[in-house]
Amino acid sequence: MSTGDIFLDETIHQPTRLRVMTMLVSQPDGGRLAYGFIQQTLGLTGGNLTTHLRKLGDAGFLSIAKEFVDSKPRTWVEATPAGRIAFTEYLSNLERALHWQPPV
Amino acid sequence: MQRVEGGRSDITPEESWRTIHATLAQAQSSLYLAGTAYILLLWGAIVSIYFFALFAIGQLAPGFEASYPWYRGPLWGIIGTPGMIGSALIGRRELSRYADYATARAAGLRVFAFWMAVVAAAFLVSGTAGLWSAEGAEKIPHVTIGIISLGYVLFGIMHLPALALVGVGMAAAFYLPAYFAGDFSALGTGAGMLAVTVLGAAWIHRSGQP
Repeated sequence: MSTGDIFLDETIHQPTRLRVMTMLVSQPDGGRLAYGFIQQTLGLTGGNLTTHLRKLGDAGFLSIAKEFVDSKPRTWVEATPAGRIAFTEYLSNLERALHWQPPV
Repeated sequence: MQRVEGGRSDITPEESWRTIHATLAQAQSSLYLAGTAYILLLWGAIVSIYFFALFAIGQLAPGFEASYPWYRGPLWGIIGTPGMIGSALIGRRELSRYADYATARAAGLRVFAFWMAVVAAAFLVSGTAGLWSAEGAEKIPHVTIGIISLGYVLFGIMHLPALALVGVGMAAAFYLPAYFAGDFSALGTGAGMLAVTVLGAAWIHRSGQP
């Protein structure tokens, strides 16, 4: 079933990935969040979050960096420019989908 | 409900829209609440020490208050200053674990501004009520604790309901002993504040709040 030319990127259009992308894109340009912070805020298991991050990473929407802070490993997640553009397009299409009316 | 090409059918555009808004609010609140459980424990200990000190002074040196009716202010200044410094350090440490400097700084400044506004309100209200005098000094905590408790209730309503209950508990821990415990009110308040903050911190910690 089709509603015409409205397309929502299915990499983003999934509840968990949508929440992850929302958190990342709401940061200033170049802003990154700690993996543990995303996990705790969204109430996800490590495995679940990793699976979704991998999918978003494979699409080029985010990058992951590991650092040692005070000899402890810390994983940072950041939306890439491509991810920000994709999310902006997603929002634009979502807005159109929300206003879409079936032809009479 | 409408469906769209490309997306899975397990989430509608309306649900997506709601999810985005809820996530933004949730992420913001999580940053504002960074280190709350530890900061609450710190203040619980500090407030308790203050009230236990008041009780000890009342019991061990009954004439002290009559000679120095303004002593509560400096006492609070001495005991409360490490609390303010400690809160800033805990908040800074926790925020730096969660987000970049710019994001952490913005969140930290907002929380700092909120609590400074609460403290300023407590200062101004007690001042305009004419309590900054030898006769009114005893009533300053009645106003101050009420406004600080209101601060917890408001912050809790905005970001974490458990904190609103902590605010109510703090008010109860002060006002109930103040009206019913006579000479033992400071002791009751100290113990009550400690219990409320420890329970609140445990609840926040168990809820998985970052």
